[in-house]
Amino acid sequence: MVNHRGDYLYILPALVVMMVVIAYPIYFTIRLSFFDHGRALQFDDLEWVGLDNYRLLLTGAYSREFWNVTQNTLVWTVFSTAGAFFLGLGAALVVQREFIGRGIVRGILLIPWVISAVAAAYIWRWLYHSDYGLISGILTDLGLIDRNIIFLDDVDLVMPALIVANIWKEFPFAMIMLLAGLQTVPEGLNRAAMVDGASTWHRFWHVTAPHLKSVTLITVLLLTVQNLNSFTTVFIMTAGGPANASQIWVTDIYRIAFNRTNFDVASAYSVILFGVMAVLGYFYVRALTRGDSTRSTV
Amino acid sequence: MSSYVKGSRLVLPYSTPMNRRSLLGYGAAAGLGAAAMRYGGAFAQSSDTGVDPDTWTPEFITSQAGTLEVDTAAEVGAVVPLDYAGKLTYWYAFEPENEPAISLEMDEAFWAAFKETYPNIEVEFTRQTYNDMLDKTRTAALGKAAPMVAKMPILWGVEFAAGGHLMGLAPEDVGYPTAEYWPGAMKSVTWDGQTYGVPTNNETMAFIWNAAIFEEAGLDPESAPATWDDVVAYSAQIKENTGKSGYGMVARVNAGNTPFRFMPQMWAYGGGALDEAEASPTYESVYANNEGSIAALQASYDMYVRDQSVPVSALTNTQNENADPFIAGQLAMVISHPSEYAKMRDLAEKAEGADAEIAANVVEHMRYGLIPEGPARRAVVFGGSNIHIFNPDVVDGDSDLDAARALISFMTGPEWSTRLSWVGSNPSNSRGFQTSWMKERIETIPFLDVTTSMLPYGIPFPVIPESTEIMNIIIPEMLQNALTETMSVEDSANDAASKIEGVLSGL
Repeated sequence: MVNHRGDYLYILPALVVMMVVIAYPIYFTIRLSFFDHGRALQFDDLEWVGLDNYRLLLTGAYSREFWNVTQNTLVWTVFSTAGAFFLGLGAALVVQREFIGRGIVRGILLIPWVISAVAAAYIWRWLYHSDYGLISGILTDLGLIDRNIIFLDDVDLVMPALIVANIWKEFPFAMIMLLAGLQTVPEGLNRAAMVDGASTWHRFWHVTAPHLKSVTLITVLLLTVQNLNSFTTVFIMTAGGPANASQIWVTDIYRIAFNRTNFDVASAYSVILFGVMAVLGYFYVRALTRGDSTRSTV
Repeated sequence: MSSYVKGSRLVLPYSTPMNRRSLLGYGAAAGLGAAAMRYGGAFAQSSDTGVDPDTWTPEFITSQAGTLEVDTAAEVGAVVPLDYAGKLTYWYAFEPENEPAISLEMDEAFWAAFKETYPNIEVEFTRQTYNDMLDKTRTAALGKAAPMVAKMPILWGVEFAAGGHLMGLAPEDVGYPTAEYWPGAMKSVTWDGQTYGVPTNNETMAFIWNAAIFEEAGLDPESAPATWDDVVAYSAQIKENTGKSGYGMVARVNAGNTPFRFMPQMWAYGGGALDEAEASPTYESVYANNEGSIAALQASYDMYVRDQSVPVSALTNTQNENADPFIAGQLAMVISHPSEYAKMRDLAEKAEGADAEIAANVVEHMRYGLIPEGPARRAVVFGGSNIHIFNPDVVDGDSDLDAARALISFMTGPEWSTRLSWVGSNPSNSRGFQTSWMKERIETIPFLDVTTSMLPYGIPFPVIPESTEIMNIIIPEMLQNALTETMSVEDSANDAASKIEGVLSGL
């Protein structure tokens, strides 16, 4: 039997750091979600309220906003993830081919990923500006519209506008992941399919796609987690407005905690988000370690 | 409602003897204060702020200016010895990029003068943006990482006082009698009968318009709209006749600029969040859905939705974003500080080419007037800032209370409470109105007399810990719900009223 005591020693420093910066805040948040801290915010004078904060959120005073925000969060996450994935896949398929200037194109496509999220959000905010935005300005100059498009100040357009900005920021990540996956597709298989007369679509569907299955799963999971946790883009561009039409879970937690100073309800909210993340994390780890047991028995 | 804890009281280590000069100054200030009190009942809101409209006329203010010599070093030296050695941390809301150049010069002059007066006190100061500072300070106080001293907008202090995060602090603790400060300002630093800060500056905004756009629209270029109904009509006429935006509405959530512009409108129509505009407010009655509030909200709806005469980006704008369209001659009316003129002049100087000509024309045609009145009253937010000392148990590191008192005394005396509010505000210390700096301000800052004469119409925000949430979140959300037609005007007002009731009940 192998003695793993030494291994534990190696990971001890990392474990200690994680306990301090991750485990304690999680413990504190879960604990706070069962207490009322009162309006005076004296955290050392907490009153036990059981599941009251969860009840307030799910069926009580906050419930109408919570379910609206949950709907927004689903729309935001699903469309951002799908958009970034498919745009990233398209970009990856393009830049994996040999062509002159491929390196430059790859570099250009990576720019959104390397730009600071804060800077990107401000740039998009001004592109979209309802009165003086560049997008409306160009479309007006081209004669395509006769009045500005109200992107960020319209309750119906704000979420699609934010999702587009988010997809622009995230697709290079999907591109890089999928590009790595594409390197694993045996070239011989593709050539053989070509010799057999398979169309481009058939080669992609029957040769390339099966090899991208694992990386697709991991990319989609990571994008989902990233979008569920997303804060910067929404917070800077709209802060959840107008009229909470672009409010998503994370910005709403911030709003309830720091703007409305209800850290107890915000903690319950965070615990719910943590639960969703934990489920996604479980699937992520499973996808990541799939085949490990097979390999270890070889 | 949940109970609140009271902060600990500042204990004075040094006596605060008065010399002859300061005694004369105090006498004069008491006279000013008495003059203010004498006419207390003239206006409903004058009893709240202590600023009487009959006394505090532009002529009275001008006649007082330059009649008092001040020796700041002697005054503050009597509070904390000038050779005192210490260290303190200090936060304040100051955005150099959004301030006129003169404000930055004054700020730098203040720090140079403080260093010269107290060469052995080291100040580690942090400038915060106005919209971020509240959240950061809350987090810092909860995380026991607050600065020793912070200057905060008038609305915020009571929340920290009620939370037990501030030390008791009165003007007397830094060498000045309470009578030197406006009663309205003192009210904003008082919670549960105890004083938790010293006012640094008091401000009221005014109504600003571009006379050239008025003329282009067929309006009298030299007259501000007299009523809020006129603002709605003028805004529509400007849009209709010029294609430019009429009124610079601001409706962003969690931006202090929003209540500073919407509450005067609400109060003018007879509404309010609570009963803060009444002569003797109790802060227990919710007014957010009364007839006046609904009328005010309807006026905003008419401008934004019906007439589309205001910038569409009002929902995401703070007042800072209105500066560019105003200097570009694309926006006709805004509510702002006296500093707006200096800011526009700075912007005009930086403009190039054709823009420079447009900007110069806008500055030339800038006019200031009283904020319009409504069926109930003329009103403006009695704003400004106060300076506070955080309780040592929420401060990051050791607290040096004498260094803190030295800074506060220096800042809230007649000299620096006047000079630091150069183009943006008015001195909190009423002796400041008698200084040569005030005289210089009156002589060199256009329209200062207009904004100062708005002081008597000032209404303080409710002095309750829930005020920040009500003013920064609930009221702007009410506006957004109506302006986006997420709810009807009436439903938005009812929704806000129910949220305010919830907040007041401790939910």
